[in-house]
Amino acid sequence: MPEGLDGALLCYCTNVTIAELREACRSGRWPLPGKEETGRLCTGCAGDLLMCLRWFGAETALRDR
Amino acid sequence: MSNRPSALLSATFWEPGYEHLVESVHQRDPEAARHLASLDVAIHDEQGKELASLPQDRASEIVDLDRIVRDVAGTEHRVMVLFDARYDERIFPYRPHHYAYLHRRGSTAPALYYAVNAVLGGVPDRIGAARLNNFETYVFRASPFAERYSVLLGNVARFSPAEPEVTLYYERDRETRTVTLGPKTHVELDLPAEREGQRLRRLEVKSVFRLATYVVGRRAASGDLVLFDHLFTYFK
Repeated sequence: MPEGLDGALLCYCTNVTIAELREACRSGRWPLPGKEETGRLCTGCAGDLLMCLRWFGAETALRDR
Repeated sequence: MSNRPSALLSATFWEPGYEHLVESVHQRDPEAARHLASLDVAIHDEQGKELASLPQDRASEIVDLDRIVRDVAGTEHRVMVLFDARYDERIFPYRPHHYAYLHRRGSTAPALYYAVNAVLGGVPDRIGAARLNNFETYVFRASPFAERYSVLLGNVARFSPAEPEVTLYYERDRETRTVTLGPKTHVELDLPAEREGQRLRRLEVKSVFRLATYVVGRRAASGDLVLFDHLFTYFK
């Protein structure tokens, strides 16, 4: 993934950037507090979110509440 | 809540030959001008290639889509246009809306007004529309209206392909098609208005994630648009 995309918004509903997701996955802190609904509101970002979670080595399921 | 501005990405499709105006902010307030924090317009061809990314004047209330797209689009017969807006939730406590006016130059067809399809964001959890926005439907009039129907599908994702299922419901029969859409690609699928004497009643689009979707109707002879409407969330 190009580094220029780090600041790009991944989830427009919860305001999560690609860099934040990567860092949270790296430190085992995903989902971050307050970001539990990432990928589950408008759902438009769910495809990219699942791909990024896989790339960053995190669990890829969007768990039910 | 994040201290970043809120974000909304809406999508529409441009074709040559139309006046196509988009209100960047629909809500008006007599007490104060309501401006977005920023608005960027990105233009993608059918294969997903970005043809241009154009920051807009955030104080401008009307985007003349045809003016900014036609030279960029060249010979393309359709491009997908993404409106990436940032806004302050205190100014737009629900969300900003983009509404559009569409009319083929010189056509006797009536002008069309439509809500630009919000694809990313703009659905905060207080609205309670979680998880089912990727299952959408459109109900057709019982009597014929437009002479040719189709559905426009666009994948606004950066990385992920989409494989939406498009199901056409006739009076008794149904037909399901699966389409593969790479990131930022788009397609127009014809929807036969009649099948073995049965009228097309309903359309459903099901996808793992939300897509840009519009049902369009055209006059058979001229191809002039006489219907341009986004689909609706089936369950709420």
